Amino acid sequence: MELKKIDKPDLGLFLQNLIKDFQVEGVKRKGQSVYGQSFFYGSINAPDELCLDFDCTTMPPKKYFIPPKEELLKFTIAPKPEVAEVIESKPLIIFGVHPYDLKAVNQMDKIFSEGNPDPNYLKRREGILLIGVDPTKVSPRSFWNSMEAASVSSGFDLMLTDIGESYLVEVGTDKGGNLLKKYAKVSSVTKEEEQKRIDVRSKIWNMCKKRALNFPMRELPSLLVNSLNSPLWDEKASKCLSCVTCNMVCPTCYCFDVWDDVELDLTHGQRYRRWDGCLASDFAKVATGENFRETRAARYRHRFLRKGQYLFSKLNDAACVGCGRCAAYCLPDIADPVDVFNRLKEAVK
Amino acid sequence: MDKPRVAFFDFASCEGDQLQIVNLEEDLLKVVGAVDVVSFREAMKGHSDNYDIAFVEGSITRRSDEPRLLEIRKNAKILVAIGACATIGGVNLLKNFQDLESVRKFVYGDKFFQYETYPARPIKAVVPVDLEIHQCPINRDEFVMAFKALLMGKKPEFPNYPVCEDCKKAENICVFEMGMTCMGPVTRAGCGACCVVEGSVCWGCRGFIDHPNADSEREVLAKYGLSVGDILKKFRLYTGFSEVSK
Repeated sequence: MELKKIDKPDLGLFLQNLIKDFQVEGVKRKGQSVYGQSFFYGSINAPDELCLDFDCTTMPPKKYFIPPKEELLKFTIAPKPEVAEVIESKPLIIFGVHPYDLKAVNQMDKIFSEGNPDPNYLKRREGILLIGVDPTKVSPRSFWNSMEAASVSSGFDLMLTDIGESYLVEVGTDKGGNLLKKYAKVSSVTKEEEQKRIDVRSKIWNMCKKRALNFPMRELPSLLVNSLNSPLWDEKASKCLSCVTCNMVCPTCYCFDVWDDVELDLTHGQRYRRWDGCLASDFAKVATGENFRETRAARYRHRFLRKGQYLFSKLNDAACVGCGRCAAYCLPDIADPVDVFNRLKEAVK
Repeated sequence: MDKPRVAFFDFASCEGDQLQIVNLEEDLLKVVGAVDVVSFREAMKGHSDNYDIAFVEGSITRRSDEPRLLEIRKNAKILVAIGACATIGGVNLLKNFQDLESVRKFVYGDKFFQYETYPARPIKAVVPVDLEIHQCPINRDEFVMAFKALLMGKKPEFPNYPVCEDCKKAENICVFEMGMTCMGPVTRAGCGACCVVEGSVCWGCRGFIDHPNADSEREVLAKYGLSVGDILKKFRLYTGFSEVSK
């Protein structure tokens, strides 16, 4: 593991240098809510726009990997049918991604490259450099420590940890290392500083233990299989607005809907895809009008089974990273995985 | 194949939906080029009763409107209601929750007896409607989308998920978190959450999604401080017809 140090005053310089040569996206402050400051990912045009002491962004960085709406194809119907794929990607650096969101990106990388590889995702992913940062604050609803998402061993190009006077930077890839060489003023790291990183991390991980699963996360698949008929699904889902907020803010929700649009002359058009959400009432509606998850409860249960069981068998890991966004933004407050999983566990004891 | 013959009509409304069509800018010539427009009071002279598709704006607020609407229905192969007044009754419906005589006096003063009225209603409450293009006023892109689907002879796909989806994609801070309240969680998306983007809240002008969880929305509104009376007002601003038509 290669570890370097950037003194805090030099981080701005690093960023300034990156901005000259790259499109840099990062965490920005956006408006106050009753919960305090809101954070969103956006373009960083000056070093002071970047915020690294955020607790959690409202939206995960997934928009950079799968845009909310994306063109996939251009087609011509007449005079001669023709199809051309559209793959839009431009190199960018995402500066300031917490480990739980990096874990989500690692999962998407796997999902979009296995089986039926997704060229749009993969091409875009190739051009993205990820600069991770360890959290310094814990958002009220997060529980990433329970979900084995407090740290990641890969998926970042560089990983920053605030150790007080400076940031320690772990180099994750050659690309990250080259970025550091070319654009940053770094110094070597002492044994004490290395220990400080361990201390800082365990302190923040401990702060995230307030909200936790009451059982090992690896038990989720069996727990869910044994809870298919739990009355909890109906109880919670009766308040579900089917508003898909939980899907939209989720860093591991990647489902999409595809449709074709034609121009007014009806001779040519485009194929698009958009983020879709499994809580929407028409998500599982098929061509004949049949809807195989017609009730709120069926859709609600599906989301938890998908996170904790279906995708578990594919990823050997839960497709929930414990960011707590679904819990924080669900208006009827029914989406909290900690509450759902712990109550299911309680019921099968 | 002959071009489809298209006519536009309006009832109680501000004619803002037809204005959206006239405002289609670069798409306008393509739209009118793809069809024969035979009647469009806001945009042209002349009229014919021979048309295939009728676009109808406005709500029905007088018994004397009904024969005219029935005639349009009889003439048209496809009847499309456009805009909130036509699809859900719009704000015209607010008077339904007040005394109709005092409403007439408020608007027409001592000449009120010359002006008939009855409870406002959307087009579908009077005649069968084939297609509804929601919003106040209609969204031009959505009109063009539906128009193209009609030209191709296929059913247009309108969103059946709440405004929250559009709102999250627009990366807004939820208005409930900012001390306001919103009809977005039960309102049909497709507007890009434009009102929230502009700093307001969703008022519900696109009407309910197919299966709104109105009870949960009422609970949420109460949780965020609205009284029963205020919740009722929220639901009546645009979606009051679902209350009276139950």
